Amino acid sequence: MSGGLSEAWSAEIFDVLPCGVIVTDVKGTILRVNKTFCAWVGLDASELVGQKKLQELFTMGGRIFHQTHWAPALQMQGSLAEVKFDVRRKDGAILPMMLNAVRKSDGGIAVDVITLTVAEERNKYERELVAAKRRADELVEKERAAQLELEDRALFAEQMIAIVSHDLRNPLSAILMGATILERGDEVPAAKRQRLTKTVMSSARNAQRLIEDLLDFTMARVGRGLSVSRKLSDVHVLVARTVESLALAFPGRVLEHVSVGEGESLADDDRVAQLLGNLVSNAMAYGDPTRPVTVTSAISENSVRLAVHNWGEPIPLETQTTMFHPMVRGDVANGSARSVGLGLFIVRAIATAHGGDIQVVSTAEAGTSFTFTSARV
Amino acid sequence: MSVQARNNVKVQGDGPATMVFAHGFGCDQNMFRLLAPHFAGRYRAVTFDQVGSGLSNVHAYDRNKYASLHGYADDLLEVIEEFGTGPVVFVGHSVSGMTGMLANLKAPDLFTAQIMVGPSPCYINDGDYVGGFEREDIDALLEMLESNYLGWSSNMAPAIMGAADQPELAFELTNSFCRTDPEIAKHFARVTFLSDHRHDLPKLQTPTLIIQSSEDIIAPVAVGEYLHRTLPNSTLRVVENVGHCPHLSVPGESAKAMNEFLATLA
Repeated sequence: MSGGLSEAWSAEIFDVLPCGVIVTDVKGTILRVNKTFCAWVGLDASELVGQKKLQELFTMGGRIFHQTHWAPALQMQGSLAEVKFDVRRKDGAILPMMLNAVRKSDGGIAVDVITLTVAEERNKYERELVAAKRRADELVEKERAAQLELEDRALFAEQMIAIVSHDLRNPLSAILMGATILERGDEVPAAKRQRLTKTVMSSARNAQRLIEDLLDFTMARVGRGLSVSRKLSDVHVLVARTVESLALAFPGRVLEHVSVGEGESLADDDRVAQLLGNLVSNAMAYGDPTRPVTVTSAISENSVRLAVHNWGEPIPLETQTTMFHPMVRGDVANGSARSVGLGLFIVRAIATAHGGDIQVVSTAEAGTSFTFTSARV
Repeated sequence: MSVQARNNVKVQGDGPATMVFAHGFGCDQNMFRLLAPHFAGRYRAVTFDQVGSGLSNVHAYDRNKYASLHGYADDLLEVIEEFGTGPVVFVGHSVSGMTGMLANLKAPDLFTAQIMVGPSPCYINDGDYVGGFEREDIDALLEMLESNYLGWSSNMAPAIMGAADQPELAFELTNSFCRTDPEIAKHFARVTFLSDHRHDLPKLQTPTLIIQSSEDIIAPVAVGEYLHRTLPNSTLRVVENVGHCPHLSVPGESAKAMNEFLATLA
């Protein structure tokens, strides 16, 4: 035999192939196995042939895959290629292997011939690919979220400009009109001049408040947070003074102050007054006008609690979860916009700047309470 | 998208009643290629691919819809409504046994009989209940599916492997069997093997046949017995078979069990 293999070699080739070879019946029972495979898994041929099924060499996950995909696919198409299984060695270690299989007939009886190749490196590579794909997906997701937030911010800015322009136009028109009439001087009756002056001043105050809100908003949202300077003071006195001046702004309405406990605590007087002002305006605007609004200041050993309570329709639950976000109310597109919803956002920013928090409880029975709580010192 | 295109629905035979076959995780409607012909003479035999498997339209795969078996049950009802003539005999393999039950509970009038091949209401052991697997086994499967990207979609096998000596397979060879998008396979595996519909079993009133393999690691005999005890109107048939696909490995025995069961309903 010229150029061919020796007979001894031909007989041996099954065992020296650089891949594992297993022959099984269609149930998976091992009929023959080569030495390469035995060496890889550390098992003797006698421990495998007639003793084990192919699938029993796999991990449990692999056995499920074998039963649900490999076995039916092999039966139907007669062959399979490049399927990876984790094979358990005798010592318990896991060896990832790439399997090809073909179903052949041995004298009318179907047998499966399976080759197995160790796929350690390929396994690593595939895992890295999967991990890289996952990272890429996460990055794309993050990018998309950032893009959405950017769009939200841009939309919010546009809406805010639209509403602020709208809100500033009214007081400025009132101021201009008042000033134009006042310019005529003495020909305007004194009583009317006085009324006009008041209108001009209150319109200017409205405009000023809007601008201050915007500055606070900008500081809280894009700057280093709202600035507060806390000093030791008696919160009851501060609240009493604030309630007194707020009451003047809401003639015909009852605004009560209840104080509990006593002592001094650290607070920024102006910011606390601003917080109460915002909460009381809301209570007046949305609460039952026939019943009182109550401001409670309570001092306990460690904390200060300020609450503003009103009666009336409760705030819907879905609103409660979003109302501390800066929001635009009304519909800008059809021109019915009324005001920028910055009040509660600023309230929360003030609470946070004091190291405290703000909570809302609102039910039909108990009414609505906004409660600011912070440490005394 | 039509139901036909979405689920690659195939109809063979033209009997007065309809028999609908649904495959489970890991394969496609080809699973019934040896069983369905047994009935195509007397029934209108309808087979289809679950969305995400075989030649279904993968664009119809919506992770939210198919996050539970109810998504598949809704598809099944649409297949029955469009391709069934009157109430149907439903044959569901593996997880589709449960899908069929869910569809039945939504619209019991569409079913005259349920046939479950290797069904399991819950794959994971739970107290006294023997499902056959621990949660770690299922996690290992999911991890394996993730690292087996090529095993699913490879259609090279027959060409490379020289199975061309089986000319009857020539046409299918170009399509290959049981192909699945790997991402979908992983999701379907999660939905399948983490499902637990034991609480729905007592509600199923339609006569039900459970075809149980004598040796099946996916749905062990204990599970078939549990189903038989718990379903109000069921028949249990254990067929001599190693593996999870008796309709492929012992199609004659499976058809016999079905015929005897269907005869009791007539």
